[in-house]
Amino acid sequence: MEINPITIRTLSMLGQRGVFGLAFMDVAETDRNIIALSADLCNTSGLDRFRTKYPDRFFNVGIAEQNMVGVAAGLAAAGYVPFATTFANFAALRSCEQVRHFLGYMKENVKLVGFGAGFSFGMFGTTHYALEDVAVLRAINNLVILNPADGLEVLKATHAAAKINAPVYIRLSGVMNNPIIYKSDYVFEIGKAITLREGMDVSIITTGSMVDLALKAAALLEADGVSAEVVNMHTIKPLDVYAVEKACAKKLIVTVEEHSRIGGLGSAVAEVLTSNTRRPIQIILGTGDEYLHAGDFQHMLESHGLTALQIAKKISNTYKEVVK
Amino acid sequence: MVAGPNGAHIAPSLSCVEILTAIFAYMTESYGLFVLSKGHAGLALYAAMKEFGIISAADFDTFETNGGEFPGQPSKNLAKHIEYSSGSLGMGLSYACGRALALKQRSLNGKVFVLLGDGETNEGSVWESAMFAGFNHLKNLIAVVDFNGMQGDGFSKDILTFDQAGMWRSCGWHVQECDGHDSAVISRCLTEQTDEPLVILARTVKGKGVSFMENVREWHHGRLTQNQYQTALSELEVGNGN
Amino acid sequence: MTNVEKYTQAFVDAFSIDAETAMTLKFQQIPAWDSVGHMGLVAQIEEQFGIMMEPDDIVDLNSFDKGKEMLGAKYGVDFAS
Repeated sequence: MEINPITIRTLSMLGQRGVFGLAFMDVAETDRNIIALSADLCNTSGLDRFRTKYPDRFFNVGIAEQNMVGVAAGLAAAGYVPFATTFANFAALRSCEQVRHFLGYMKENVKLVGFGAGFSFGMFGTTHYALEDVAVLRAINNLVILNPADGLEVLKATHAAAKINAPVYIRLSGVMNNPIIYKSDYVFEIGKAITLREGMDVSIITTGSMVDLALKAAALLEADGVSAEVVNMHTIKPLDVYAVEKACAKKLIVTVEEHSRIGGLGSAVAEVLTSNTRRPIQIILGTGDEYLHAGDFQHMLESHGLTALQIAKKISNTYKEVVK
Repeated sequence: MVAGPNGAHIAPSLSCVEILTAIFAYMTESYGLFVLSKGHAGLALYAAMKEFGIISAADFDTFETNGGEFPGQPSKNLAKHIEYSSGSLGMGLSYACGRALALKQRSLNGKVFVLLGDGETNEGSVWESAMFAGFNHLKNLIAVVDFNGMQGDGFSKDILTFDQAGMWRSCGWHVQECDGHDSAVISRCLTEQTDEPLVILARTVKGKGVSFMENVREWHHGRLTQNQYQTALSELEVGNGN
Repeated sequence: MTNVEKYTQAFVDAFSIDAETAMTLKFQQIPAWDSVGHMGLVAQIEEQFGIMMEPDDIVDLNSFDKGKEMLGAKYGVDFAS
């Protein structure tokens, strides 16, 4: 797929789920071993084009996520490169032990794709929100975890996942009209964080849908006299430890994720910082302790304090305390 | 090793010796792949692999040594021809479906055998796979259920039973029932040509061949004293006509 | 290029079709114009006219004619010249 302003705009309009459908076609055209599985969510996974064009390379296992991961593992053991897709919450939790067993323990080359992480599913409510997937899957050995920031990054992540001979979990987030982070082509490397904005006082380490909001928050902070860098940690596992250690030069580290404060990116960063002798304090921004009533994507972000303004305010208040 | 400090899943292994013999005999003639879903029969698997010359006696003797390659519940080890990591019940069939599907995709001959325990079929995930295999007519897939009527806490009839044959049939499988201790009969069942996946409900006795173990819950996992070991050995030799 | 030509070109570029086919085209009439292809078309139209379309309009744009009507009415595109 050619990367130009028109395709970037198209990817943005589609949203990450739609982009995955295109990205997967892109990847699958060049390698016949790449196949797709769905737990009865093909139509809502952007995979209809692939299914229409390559019906013998697409398997709908029915509403049976555990079986999907096991079947994918068997196919992988036989030399295929299966992408097993479903909604993020179900991918991570319903088939959790299968992910541990087949991907973590047996190391089968399965790519698990979770759609609609965080609050993407809006009015569908808590059962369809994925707020603990990273926390749970991060603890499983041998699993690469990617959380792309925009449409182009989904394309890159899909290609990278297909190429690497390792089990991968790709966490897709946001809704249609996914904000554009990368206005032109760039180099994506699994495990290498990307500094999107330079800054001297604060380091905002973020991922997925929060990258756009972190950039907006950084702009607000600048107006307030606080210089914040924004680091896109698109690979949550393996974490770019070097990037975290570099961030220790700032006076404050903030992690922002569309995920529970417990166990996700924030915790991953904290695990690195905790044995560093020279390090600033870290605050972890993410979703809170209650499962709130359903609302649309924007409403849910606001309810959990994850709008650009709310993020900027929290950082500003903490920063003022830190430099006192 | 069954008299060793850690003991072993002796009785569950004894109930499937003939089943494994039949399956491995089949695989010496035609291409096949074996998945041990009933992971706690690892000892039986290794014994069969040794008998059929797939692993060495030296390897077999490292059973359950610390850090060894032959733990009680087998771990995937392609160098030792072990394809599947066993132990967590209810997942082997779905992996076997994937392997069978791959063979079908590539229009390759060969069968995929998977051994389950009857207690294991309590797990819902077994039925997700069973439905999938039946719906997709995975006729190169053969499941054998080691039907010994017992599970962890005792007799299945006191815990959880259901119409096994009916369940498999309703998922679209061809069902055979037989004496699970007669290798010849099992072998005949294995060669049956069907258009659907085949399940063999093999009626077995947990702890078969050792009088003090047969149908005794405590021998699900146990450790033999030297006396018990000698008694068991002589009973099994008699059973084999030695 | 006239505005009509630019508008037609958007369809030609998005779907790899000829101008004549474009002029009578409706959503889902050809495989390329599915919901994914639709976004590609919108991106091409936006690029041609330097505009950003509203989400509701993106959804309503279900034929060549409808799109032309919309661009004229709401986005100031004069197709007469």
